[in-house]
Amino acid sequence: MIRIRNLEKVFISSRGPVAAVQGIDLDVAGNEFVVLLGPSGCGKTTTLRCVAGLERPDRGTIEIAGETVDSASEGSYVPPDRRNIGMVFQSYAVWPHLSVYDNVAVPLIEGRYRVAKNLVGGRVREVLGLVRLEGLETRPVTDLSGGQQQRVALARAIVTRPRVLLMDEPLSNLDARLRDQMRLELKRITRTIGVTVLYVTHDQAEALSLGDRVCVMNEGKMLQVGQPQIVYAQPSSRFVAEFVGEMNFLKGKVVGPAEADSLLGRVRCPMPPGCQTGSDVTLAIRPENLSLARRPELNHPVVEGKVVTINYVGDATLFEVDAGGTQLRIKQPGVPVFSVGDAATIVLPQDFWHAYP
Amino acid sequence: MTELALRLFKFPSIRTIRVSPLVPVALVPMFALAGFILVIVWVSFQTGVIGTAQAHYTLDNYRAVFADPLAYSSLLNTLVFASASTFFALAVGLPIAWLTERTTMGGKPIIYGIMTVGLLVPGIFVAMGWTFIAHPRIGFLNHWLISLFGLEEGPINIGTPIGMGFVQGLNLAPLAFIFTVQMFRAMNPLLEEAARIAGLSFTATLKRVTLPLATPGILAAGIYIFTVGIATFDIPAVLGLGNRVYLFSTYMFVQTFPQDYVPRYGITATIGTAMIGVALVLTYWYGQVLRRGDRYQVITGKGYRPKRIDTGRWAILCWTGIGFYAFIAKLLPVAMIAFVAFSPYVAPPSFNMLGQLSLGNFYRINWELVLRGLRNTVILMAVVPALVLCVSFCISWLVVRSRSRARYALEFGAFLPHTLPEVLFAIGALLLALFVLKGFVPLYDSVWLIAIVYIVVRMAFATRAMNGALLQVHRELEEAASVAGLSTLRTAWRVVLPLIRPTMLSVWIWTMLLVYREVTVAVFLTSQNSITLPAIVWSYWNAAGMTEASMVTLIMITLFSPLLVIFWRFGRQSGMASG
Repeated sequence: MIRIRNLEKVFISSRGPVAAVQGIDLDVAGNEFVVLLGPSGCGKTTTLRCVAGLERPDRGTIEIAGETVDSASEGSYVPPDRRNIGMVFQSYAVWPHLSVYDNVAVPLIEGRYRVAKNLVGGRVREVLGLVRLEGLETRPVTDLSGGQQQRVALARAIVTRPRVLLMDEPLSNLDARLRDQMRLELKRITRTIGVTVLYVTHDQAEALSLGDRVCVMNEGKMLQVGQPQIVYAQPSSRFVAEFVGEMNFLKGKVVGPAEADSLLGRVRCPMPPGCQTGSDVTLAIRPENLSLARRPELNHPVVEGKVVTINYVGDATLFEVDAGGTQLRIKQPGVPVFSVGDAATIVLPQDFWHAYP
Repeated sequence: MTELALRLFKFPSIRTIRVSPLVPVALVPMFALAGFILVIVWVSFQTGVIGTAQAHYTLDNYRAVFADPLAYSSLLNTLVFASASTFFALAVGLPIAWLTERTTMGGKPIIYGIMTVGLLVPGIFVAMGWTFIAHPRIGFLNHWLISLFGLEEGPINIGTPIGMGFVQGLNLAPLAFIFTVQMFRAMNPLLEEAARIAGLSFTATLKRVTLPLATPGILAAGIYIFTVGIATFDIPAVLGLGNRVYLFSTYMFVQTFPQDYVPRYGITATIGTAMIGVALVLTYWYGQVLRRGDRYQVITGKGYRPKRIDTGRWAILCWTGIGFYAFIAKLLPVAMIAFVAFSPYVAPPSFNMLGQLSLGNFYRINWELVLRGLRNTVILMAVVPALVLCVSFCISWLVVRSRSRARYALEFGAFLPHTLPEVLFAIGALLLALFVLKGFVPLYDSVWLIAIVYIVVRMAFATRAMNGALLQVHRELEEAASVAGLSTLRTAWRVVLPLIRPTMLSVWIWTMLLVYREVTVAVFLTSQNSITLPAIVWSYWNAAGMTEASMVTLIMITLFSPLLVIFWRFGRQSGMASG
């Protein structure tokens, strides 16, 4: 449905040119939900705005539903109002001088994709029902809470039944509880209407829970694209490993084709290509894959450590453990059974290790 | 990346540049502005039959001006006048601004009311009033002093550069007030409190902390009022011409409209060129000071209430001072005009004179002329504000929303009429109509020529007000409309304009009020057909018809009042920065 090829975008700032996007290729299939994930300034929003037509790429092409909407080489460009897309903005961008009903109805009445007058009312009520805002039609939109305004913005974006829905950090202005709730709603609504979604966020939990596929970006480049569980379980680079989820890193030295030595002993995992015996690597393991025990377990390699801090978060406990000068984060379900200063045994897993150059 | 950037810098592909439909509308007034300035410089180098093949390009005009002792005296007079007006305006406006925002003295809305109305009372009225008050021969103050002390002649002469500067200062004090009151309102009181805690007395704090922090704001106001003074026409014309005291502007006027020989447009243009030079230097300085003011960060943007100094019983004294200012600057002059309007001849108020008051002047004035002036004024009031809004919206939108670097040029162009004197645009338009456009567009003697100048002059303020309003409209609100399928025009109509409507409304009414009272441009550009009401006042005055001029003024003020009420009702919210 969306096809991006070799996208490049340079901004001229006061300190000279800044390459915001440096050669992005991405395909989004029909009715797929793809999340662009990355830190601020990684080019994810610029990519999204290029797809919307709000920015014009310096190089590359963008196709929506088989139609070329941007081609820098041919100089062709379709303005946003002719792309048949919907977009939800970070600031909601609901029109403050209009009522809830008018906010949603304006695209149908005055937009490029207007419908016959007698259909407008039904269409507006249908989407307001979908976003659960029935009964608020006549309210001024500024009377609504942030969460409700975001629903108006979503209703406005989907009321023209666009082929593509673009969302730019739509949940970042909501409080944590509302955000979780809206996440589920977003999933339900997009499934119901059947729309292709390109979604931008810097929140990795949001990305993992929403996306059919997640695309991790940094410094204008795409680092990894894949299903959330693949990106989480097999981060392709150190940056992805660090940005998606928590990760412990420690130094290691390659000793075999799939073996490395570290402070915690010998670790077995595939070594990055090009590494020879003796070269330095960074080993990584997620906190939930380590565990703490009172007594050594015989069938697992173990390391002795000392508990430095305990961070109890309700459903789990995060420990920081000192193991021979290296600080390791360990996550265990349930209440803590150790106190600060206790000696504890760190149980190392056989799998789940990653190695990066 | 650098390679790509270089490519972009060197060869911007024409096809990728999308020209907004607003650009042409924004550029038209810019071309007019550039035309006015360039034609003045161009004519200043010509003698002979200007603007034709018979013109000689020489420096003769410059030599003539340098050789004319009157030119030197008018330069000196102008500097004295501008300095005096700056001094008096700040001396009155600054303390009132400080009292209003930093003390507990009550009645803030009344002070704002006095100052806003004060901005709208044109200098020509105040100058006429002060002629009746303090003219050496006809001023009642002088008459009273002569009879009181048995003097030979009137001791006060308001027609000197300092006297005129005093009247100008009284008239522009509201400008000094408006410029500085916002600064005092936003000043962080913690800085002053810290000084008090550090052991500084009240006066030491004022001297060491408050005033230095306020310096950029005060300096900016001072430079601006000085720049206005360099080219003010109405007050020096009313008070000085009869006295043969010339300033730049009045010197230009007598060269352009001499009574005994042909107009010397070359000389006018030469003085105009000099004025452009001075004004550009002052504009540059003004811009620098404004930028420094930003760096001081007096404005914190946080919602706090500045601690106010308790005036206690001093409030009575302060209010007496403010009342006295309003009386001598606005009330007394207008009252004198009203008195003269019903008098058969100009004489000091007395019981004898009261008995002679009549409606004689009302019947004596040329009603055919007054009605023509009224019609022209109404046309200007209907057309100019609407076009100013249209032009300034386009400029503002491009300045605020576009990312092209050409927006800085546009912003600068729109800022220029704020500091370049109106009289220059009047002269430029006159020369342009006479020597460039004469053949193709018959604009001379047309009210539309005045309209064009008004639009250029007024767009500076309107653009600044509009910039402020548009910055408040989040860019994403427009983008949301665009993505929702609304065309650019529908986006503007449905989303942007409704959101900035309050600003549009107040700019519209304010522009209308200023068009109604404008006299300088009108005097230089009117003739029989295109005369406006204020120009009629001037022409009566200039032809020694003081009582008739006063009557027309009174009619103007009467017609003006309902407009003022409308302004008060709808347009007051957005701060009116400058006249």
